[in-house]
Amino acid sequence: MTEQTFRAPREWTRVHPVSPLLGGWAVIGILLAYFIHQRLPDLIAGTGFDDAFALADRFPFVWILVAAILGFALTMLVSIWQWRRTEYRIGDDAVYLRQGIITQQQRQARLDRLQAVDVVQPLLARVFGFAAINVQVAGGTKSGVELRYLRLGDAEALRNEILALAAGVAERDVAAAEDGSPDEAGAAPDGSPRLRDLTSHLAGRAQALNDPEAVLLGTEAPRTAVAASEERPVYTVPIGRLVLSTILSGPAAFMAIVLVLGLTAWLFFDYDLVGTLLAALGGSLFATVGALFGLLGFFWTRINGGFHFTAGVSDDGLRLRHGLTETRRQTVPPGRVQAIRLHQPLFWRAKDWWRISINVAGYGDDQESVSILHPVATRQEALTAVWLILPDLGDPDPAGTLGLAMSGRGGEGGFLTSPDRARRVDPLQWRFRGVRATERALLIRRGRWERELYVVPHERTQSLGLSQGPLLRGLSLANVDVHSTSGPVKPVAAHLDVDDAMALLDAQAARAREGRRRQTPEQWREAVGL
Amino acid sequence: MSWYENAEVPWTYVSPRLIPARLIPFWIFIGLVTVGGAVAALASGLAALLAIPVVALALGAWGTVVIRRQVTAHAWAEGSEDLMVKKGRMFRRVTVVPYGRMQFVDVKAGPIDRAFGIATLQLHTASPASDASISGVPAEEAARLRDRLTTKGEARLAGL
Repeated sequence: MTEQTFRAPREWTRVHPVSPLLGGWAVIGILLAYFIHQRLPDLIAGTGFDDAFALADRFPFVWILVAAILGFALTMLVSIWQWRRTEYRIGDDAVYLRQGIITQQQRQARLDRLQAVDVVQPLLARVFGFAAINVQVAGGTKSGVELRYLRLGDAEALRNEILALAAGVAERDVAAAEDGSPDEAGAAPDGSPRLRDLTSHLAGRAQALNDPEAVLLGTEAPRTAVAASEERPVYTVPIGRLVLSTILSGPAAFMAIVLVLGLTAWLFFDYDLVGTLLAALGGSLFATVGALFGLLGFFWTRINGGFHFTAGVSDDGLRLRHGLTETRRQTVPPGRVQAIRLHQPLFWRAKDWWRISINVAGYGDDQESVSILHPVATRQEALTAVWLILPDLGDPDPAGTLGLAMSGRGGEGGFLTSPDRARRVDPLQWRFRGVRATERALLIRRGRWERELYVVPHERTQSLGLSQGPLLRGLSLANVDVHSTSGPVKPVAAHLDVDDAMALLDAQAARAREGRRRQTPEQWREAVGL
Repeated sequence: MSWYENAEVPWTYVSPRLIPARLIPFWIFIGLVTVGGAVAALASGLAALLAIPVVALALGAWGTVVIRRQVTAHAWAEGSEDLMVKKGRMFRRVTVVPYGRMQFVDVKAGPIDRAFGIATLQLHTASPASDASISGVPAEEAARLRDRLTTKGEARLAGL
């Protein structure tokens, strides 16, 4: 069986019929967990399943089962209904979506406002070859289009065509690509189209599962009418570094300290550790368990989100791929990154590692794990990552300047610093604060023990603010805020001399104006004549 | 003490009618607390409860002063490329919004605002941090300002 060529639909199309099932698994999981939770004591005590089912005195259990089945059926019914009412199509200017059972909703994501396209595959969807696609456009967190689920090939085809159209590749190019080889599915003359579809999909899965690594890492690449633009990998995060970086974190240190204190007390002071633990567990079970889950959740999020984190560049823009249980392939076209934050927590100093977050309009505030450019970068990788976003920093010695911006102090390298009197409000880091504008971006540095650097391209500045409270006024200091789109990066240059701050505000407004004048057009490929 | 002065155009201060427009809802609240406290004190006979109206009135007096000072410090200026808004005396803030960054402009006027013939102009950029709202703009001026800003914004609109 030859491979199928996928293409994005131009007419209204439903998402894949298997979608309700993929969604319903969560419910099954919860019910299963509940069942185990209920039955576990019996199982441990040696009472088998048979007894549990056979005995009439297990009456309440039967009711639970009935309720579970009813609940599941109802969920499925609603999901199927929702699926029937969810349709999408792609046009030359937008992706259209209509959905809703009671309230009909029509939505179009305009391609000229496109900010990022993500192909997301939770574990189950990955095994069966499905994916959700998120099209992020500027205009708030609710303005994007999310389709779940499509066959992976359909999702990729949709992504490639969206990116090509948004890049300004003329429509005929896409159309020409669509006139490629005829769909293989047409070869089997018997059966309904849906059945043929299913058999070809299953055959495809059987093939794909021959290469379990690609499925696990989410690197499958189906053949699409508009081929994915070639990707040159730039960096991959080794799993060892990711795990170590997670261990070298605040929460881990906190756990270690608590553990050491507890053990010390127990060993040397004959402290009743077990008794205290039991008391703590009994006294406020929820608080303890909650805190523990919070900590574990932190580790899990870090490892899960950063697993096999790979960044690459392509004609479509920046490509990021990561995730253990849920893999996410992000494509951020050029010029969509609004601001960069490099952060070095205290325990990463010895290794000189940096965590790099970005602001992309459309990702919003609540998606911290999506707005990561590099979960744990060496210094060299950090420089590379910044270069990915800003190939031209507008500085004769970008590496040197960024190096000073990451770990310099004082005015070395032309940084504008806080005056001496700032030590009264900022005793630790006043000497380490620094602001410097290159031709293309504003660099804001802070932090003595843990360090932080903001890089904001001039043409991405939304607006600027100058603020001063009574304390700062007494010391003739002021803060300059650089307003970026919503996201984890909130750049602020704090505790500058008030005259410096006012000059910076004016100069930065002028630089932002200049930057906007020469900024790359939204249709990025048109600009370079591709 | 020096503070930001834009070189291009003078600040336009907001209408002083914003002072009563803010004082009325503020004093309705203060009044309710005062009366409530007084009634509670009388009904229960606890002298300590008289502290509620006393504190409320003191806060009211202080709030009145703060509102007056805030309103008289609130101004905007239409530069050639940016709109500037300044507010606050204790906590001073200046926001500079380039016209090309404005996504849309809202004009809002509640019943009290309308009675005083003023409105609030809210500018939206793609950043939630750009707190660029101008309260107490005379109603006709607000409509004109909105149209001017929209025109200037369209002329200079840049992508994100």
